[in-house]
Amino acid sequence: MSQAVATGDLAPSPAARPRRRFRVRAAPTLGVLILALLLVCAIVPQWVAPYAPLKFDYRATLRPPSAAHWFGTDNFGRDLLSRVIWATRIDMQIALFSTLFPVVFGTFVGCLIGYFGGIADVLFRRLVDLVITVPFLVLVIAIVAVLGPGLTNMYIAVSSVGWIFYARLIRAEILTQKRRDYAAAGRVMGYGWPRIVFRHLLPNAITPVLTYWMTDMALAILLGSSLGYLGLGAQPPTAEWGVLIADGKNFMSTAWWMSIFPGIAIVLAGVGFSLLGDAVASLFRRR
Amino acid sequence: MHALTHAAGRLLQIVPTVILVAVLMFGLMRLLPGDPALALLGDRATDASIARMHHEMGFDRSIWVQFWEYLRHAAMGDFGDSITMRLPVGRLILLRLPVTLMLTAMAVVLAVVMAVPLAFAAALNEGGLADTIIRMLSQLGLSMPVFYVGLILLITLAAGLGWFPVGGIGDNFWQDIYYLILPAMTLALSLTAILMRNLRESLIEVLNAEFVQFATAKGLRRSLVLGRHVLRNALISTLTLLGLNIGTLVGGAVITETVFAIPGIGRLMIDSIFARDYAVVQGLTIVLAVLVSLVFLAVDTLQAILDPRVDA
Repeated sequence: MSQAVATGDLAPSPAARPRRRFRVRAAPTLGVLILALLLVCAIVPQWVAPYAPLKFDYRATLRPPSAAHWFGTDNFGRDLLSRVIWATRIDMQIALFSTLFPVVFGTFVGCLIGYFGGIADVLFRRLVDLVITVPFLVLVIAIVAVLGPGLTNMYIAVSSVGWIFYARLIRAEILTQKRRDYAAAGRVMGYGWPRIVFRHLLPNAITPVLTYWMTDMALAILLGSSLGYLGLGAQPPTAEWGVLIADGKNFMSTAWWMSIFPGIAIVLAGVGFSLLGDAVASLFRRR
Repeated sequence: MHALTHAAGRLLQIVPTVILVAVLMFGLMRLLPGDPALALLGDRATDASIARMHHEMGFDRSIWVQFWEYLRHAAMGDFGDSITMRLPVGRLILLRLPVTLMLTAMAVVLAVVMAVPLAFAAALNEGGLADTIIRMLSQLGLSMPVFYVGLILLITLAAGLGWFPVGGIGDNFWQDIYYLILPAMTLALSLTAILMRNLRESLIEVLNAEFVQFATAKGLRRSLVLGRHVLRNALISTLTLLGLNIGTLVGGAVITETVFAIPGIGRLMIDSIFARDYAVVQGLTIVLAVLVSLVFLAVDTLQAILDPRVDA
C-alpha cells in the first residue's frame, strides 16, 4: 500500500493530467471507429465497393485517381478502391486466423507448463531459445517454403511458431499467481488442478495475453502482407494488400497510386489494432 | 572478469540451441516438395543421371547418415554446395554477408541517432504537444510494413526525384554507402519507432526515479543530471532493446534486400527458397542463428559491464 502512495507522489504534474485523460478516451474511440470501418469492408465489401474487384476495363488502364476511380485503376483497368476494399476481407481473415490457434493453444499449454513445471518446462525453455534465436520471419518463410505458398499454409506456419509467444507470457504469469495465497487455499480446499488452474489462476493471468493478442493481430497483418508481397502468402488474383502493393511495384514510376493506397490500408489496420490494444491494457489497469 | 566468465558460460549455451536449429532446418528441408536433382537437370534428365546426381548429393543414404554428415561438416563451416549457383554454401554466404552486415549496421546507427533525441524530447515534455506528435509518429512507424516504407522511398526519392539509385549496390565502399542509404532508412524506421517508444517509457521512469530526484535536489545542474545520470540509463535501455529486436531487424533485412535488389544474404534466402536450394537455406538459417546468438551474448556482456546493477 505504501508503495502505491509513493508512486502516486511521482505522478505527472496536474497540468499534464487533463490532457492524458482526454487521450485515454479519444484513442480507443478512434481505434474502434477504424476497426468498425474495416469490419464493414470485410463483411459486406459488395455494399461498399463501387466496382467489381476483378472486372477488367481495358479502356481505362493505369488511370490516376479521379472522381470515377478514387484510388485510380491498375494495369488491367480494375478499380483500385474496390480491390483495396475487397482485400480487407482477406487481411482481416489473416489477422484472425493467424492468431486464433496461438492464443488458445498457447494459453492452454502455458498454463500447464507454468503450473506443473518439471521436464516440460525445461524443454519449453529450449524451444523459446530456439524461436528467439531464429528470426520469426525467417522461420515462417522457411516453413511456408516447405508447405508451399498460399494462405492456408501461411496460417499453419505462423500458428506452429506463434503459440510459443503466448505460452511464454502466460507461463510467467501463472508462475507468480500459483504462489499466491488463494491458489494455496484452493489446494487446501481439495480442488483438483483443472479447477485451480483454469477457474482461479487463469482469469488472473490472462490480461497480458489479451493485450498482446491485439498487438499480435496488427503484427499478423504486417507479416501476412509481407509474405503476400514476397509471393509466399495470398496468391494473385486474390486481392490482398501486400499482393496489391507487389503488383504496383512494377509500375512504381508511372502509377504510384497502385502501391501507395493499399499500404495506407495496412497502416490504418495496424493503428486500429494498436489503439485497441492500448485501450484493453488501460481498461485492465484501472481495475 | 565476472563478465567474462558469464560470457563464456553463455557461449556454451549457444551450442545446443544451434544444434536444435540445425535439426529443425534439416527436418524441414527434407519435407520440401520437388526433387532438386530433377530441377537441376531439367529436360535432359535420364534415370541414370538422376541416380548419379542423387548419389553425388548423398540422397541415396539413410536420413540419419545424411544428418550426421551434415552436422559434422557444418561444425567445420562446410554447409555443402549450392545446387543452383555451383558454389560452396559457406563461401556463398561469406560473399553475401558483408552487404547485409553493412546494411544492418547503417540501419542501427540511423535508428539510434533518430530515436534517442526524439525519445528525450518526448519524455521531457510528457503529455505535451511534442510528446503527442512523437508518439503518433512512432505508432505510424510501427504500423508500416518494411516493404511499404521501401516502396514509398523508392517512388519519391529514387524514381521521382532521382536522388538515389533504384536498387543494387555500388562498386566500392563509398558507393555502397550511397546505394544503401535508402535501404538503411527503410530498415531503420520500424526499429526507430520501437526504440523511441520504449526509450520514452524508460526515460520517464528514470526521470521520476529517486536517484534523479536526489541529484536534482542536491543542486546539480539540469544538463548534468540529464547528461550523466539519465543518459547513461537511457543508453543501457537502448542497448537492451537493440539486442531484443535483432531478430526483427534480420527479418526486415530479408524484405529490404528483396525490395531494393541488394545481393545480401536475405535476398539469397528468398532466391534459394524459390529455387529449392536446400543447402543454402539450411546453411543460412544456421549462420543467422549463430550470429543472432552472438549479438545476444555481446549485448549481455556489454550490459554487465555498463550497468553495475545487472548481476552477471
